[in-house]
Amino acid sequence: MAIDKATAGQADSLNGAQVKPDRVVDARGSFCPGPLMELIKTIKAQPVGTVVELWSSDRGSSKDVPEWIKKAGHDLLYVLEEGDHWRIGVRKAR
Amino acid sequence: MPDRPKLSIVVLSPQLSKLHAASLMASVAASAGMEVNVFATMEALGQFRRSVIERRDFVLDDVGRELVAKKVPLFYDLLRQGRELGDLHVYGCALAADVMGWKPEDFTDLVEDVIGVTAFFGKSEGAQILTI
Repeated sequence: MAIDKATAGQADSLNGAQVKPDRVVDARGSFCPGPLMELIKTIKAQPVGTVVELWSSDRGSSKDVPEWIKKAGHDLLYVLEEGDHWRIGVRKAR
Repeated sequence: MPDRPKLSIVVLSPQLSKLHAASLMASVAASAGMEVNVFATMEALGQFRRSVIERRDFVLDDVGRELVAKKVPLFYDLLRQGRELGDLHVYGCALAADVMGWKPEDFTDLVEDVIGVTAFFGKSEGAQILTI
């Protein structure tokens, strides 16, 4: 299957599934803003270029986290819904 | 470098759900890079006493009860997290503390200082101010 290259900074759920995260943050079961806070903590501690995948079962986070990623200037790679949770991929860009 | 955006939150209500809303916004704003100053005053200040937090002597409405029942990290946890991740400060109101006879050491260590309105306005210069 042909997959378009993701435009930098834009979500692409097809391409996203192909990116292998360097770190996975499992925040399932955590309430808003827990998943966001855990993601921020992890991203702060990692070097630029690291791909982090956040797992969250909190509906609010599926909207909030991409918003934060954009505002913070990182690259949102994908937002995938996986039944009872979301997988959100982000590349630390600065 | 341009000034960082600033948010100040005046917390008046002792209700757990309102303390939660204030702390949630404060911690998210701080972790998003804003400078955040929280001023706990009047009835809200009492909830920042160590004895109240230890006894979990909260003022509960329906949402507050669920926050406790579901073991959601509460306002002091959120504020602590915001302080670890960003520039967040919590101040107690000198008037409320004086009227009630509360000493600085009665409060959780989240409360950095007990200050008056003038000092708080100084810290809030150029900030959006929310009252909860």
